[in-house]
Amino acid sequence: MVLSAPARVRHRQHPPRARRRVLYAGLSVPAILWLAVFFLVPFYAVLSVAGGQIDGIRGTPIPEWNPLIWSRASYHAVFQEFSGTGAFLGPLVLRTVEYVGAASLLSLLIGYPAAYYVSRFATKRKGLLLGLLLAPFWVSYMMRMLAWIGLLQTDGYVNRILIDLHLTSHPVTWLGGKASTVVLGLVYGYVPYLILVLYAGLDRIDSSLLEAGRDLGLGRVRTFLFVTLPLSRQTIITGLLVTVLPMLGDYFTNVMLSGATNTSMVGNAIQGQLQSTTLQTQGAALSLLMLGVLAIPMLYYVVATNRASQAAA
Amino acid sequence: MGELPRPDSPVTLPTYADNAAIANGLEPETGATLKVFNWTAYINRAVVRNFEKRYKCKVEITTFNTQEDALAKLNTGDLQFDVFVPTVDVLSSLVAAKQVRPLNHGYIPNIHQAWDFFQNPFYDQGWRYTVPYTIYTTGIAWRNDHVSGSPDQLENPWSFLWQEQYRGKVAILDDYRESIGLGLMYNGETDLNTPDVEKLTAAEQALLNLAKLTSVHIDNNDYTNIPSGQMWIHHAWSGDIAAAEYYMPKGVSVDTVSYWFPRNGRGPVNNDTMVVLAGGKCPVLAHLFLNYFLDVDNVIENISYNGYMQPIHGVTGPRLVKEKLLPPNLTTTVVLESDFPRGLRELQISASARQVWQQDWLNVSRGV
Repeated sequence: MVLSAPARVRHRQHPPRARRRVLYAGLSVPAILWLAVFFLVPFYAVLSVAGGQIDGIRGTPIPEWNPLIWSRASYHAVFQEFSGTGAFLGPLVLRTVEYVGAASLLSLLIGYPAAYYVSRFATKRKGLLLGLLLAPFWVSYMMRMLAWIGLLQTDGYVNRILIDLHLTSHPVTWLGGKASTVVLGLVYGYVPYLILVLYAGLDRIDSSLLEAGRDLGLGRVRTFLFVTLPLSRQTIITGLLVTVLPMLGDYFTNVMLSGATNTSMVGNAIQGQLQSTTLQTQGAALSLLMLGVLAIPMLYYVVATNRASQAAA
Repeated sequence: MGELPRPDSPVTLPTYADNAAIANGLEPETGATLKVFNWTAYINRAVVRNFEKRYKCKVEITTFNTQEDALAKLNTGDLQFDVFVPTVDVLSSLVAAKQVRPLNHGYIPNIHQAWDFFQNPFYDQGWRYTVPYTIYTTGIAWRNDHVSGSPDQLENPWSFLWQEQYRGKVAILDDYRESIGLGLMYNGETDLNTPDVEKLTAAEQALLNLAKLTSVHIDNNDYTNIPSGQMWIHHAWSGDIAAAEYYMPKGVSVDTVSYWFPRNGRGPVNNDTMVVLAGGKCPVLAHLFLNYFLDVDNVIENISYNGYMQPIHGVTGPRLVKEKLLPPNLTTTVVLESDFPRGLRELQISASARQVWQQDWLNVSRGV
């Protein structure tokens, strides 16, 4: 009896390999359909618009669905915007990298200590603090940016406080095309995502490893530097990817908090092209080029994750 | 596409057998929802509510911020709006694509309340497809409590925007026709429909200099940004500034707002139109809606919110001031019938010219 019962259980738990394959394949059907309908089809449409023409009368794009005759004109036009006479994309790319780099660094400096505190020291208040971290998601991104407009406008609270404290005699034009406002807007918009990812990773670090570090004579700071930080490297990369990728394509923060040409980013250029009927093929081409560039860190992430998994195994 | 409509070259828009006007004598659709596709904050909901009561229907208003946005949405072909408010320069495209329905004049007797110019406009001879909606000039608005002087004091009045000392406080309209047009006028050009690449490149350069000099802001919020003081000088539409009083912060007088348009009338003067869309489900109600917004009493009530004048007999500057719908210091926003023959019109341009205009604008705006 003792021997036969586990055997029956094993038999019930593991159906034949062929059936298991069908079952697992079936489970993936909804995701495959979802991807096909909401990613592959639109992606092919973007490719077709980029490879298509502009209607000579209406000035609207005509997608070319046959990949064999896709035109390269819109890609050529985008490269002209990098290096031609009316070139303006180069500075925008540099500015985008600068803004996103600064915003990511600031987000990390703000987000890491917050996530670290919640995961290691919050104890009984962990639920409350997690709720507070999720609070920004209860309000839409647009509303959060609109709130900042209220705070930063000429007679807003920020200027009133600065004047009351005699830190400035005239209101600062925060919304008049300041790079710092756009960077802070990006940080404000995306730091909650980073904190959540960092928290999830830091919370999973085995506390016995930290205790081992302490037992081997490391102080708090050195334990953090030589144990916690290396163990959270993968989490930091994941968190930064989650925030950097959308930041690179962000246009809305800039429109809301600046609206000036001197802070424009690549996302704004794409938006501008897509809003101009005769430039929509160029907008599609620039979107695809950007996708190609963003695929590089994504691939790095996949490779790094695989390596980490193999090392852990 | 045929000849481009111009005041000296009027155009009769074609009709098609498979896109006919509705028949005479039809009853309005009952219990229906009329779908209106309009610019943001461009109609008085109180007037719309009165229309709903009178014709026992619902009116659903969907808004857009730029003409390009609106056309992109319409071109998807999936939307079933009944009424649309386009600018004049896109009419031929809409007609050629059979997106607008020819009007049955029998449902729109109020057309006779419109200025004569609009009963047979050059862009739509015989008003086959359009009735006029708003009229406006494009000029410069500024806060006179922050900015000294006025455009009239300058040799080139349009250079009033090119003032470095107001960096961060200068804005231009987010509209490629208006803003490239501004660059052209700054350079002394008066043809605001030019396909000339050299002139357009020069206009682009003038605007790039403006951006460098003032960190120029690009938006269509002249109606709030000037009253609030967020911007001190704004390339602006007359109707937006006429409504400034409703957006002034507490304790700040509307007297601090000024609006300039060339005294000789040689500035942009334009009108928007109302059309019935072919894909709509309530064509009779749509006709009645157009007729409703041509009645002088409804027009006055509409202006009380909208600020934009309509070309209707009896709607005059003195009347608007008398009825306290327009502050006396902003009578420069009033549009006269005589402004139309002498003003500069932004009209339809060819697709290839439009591509040049839009590319130049993208180079200036960087998509903001």
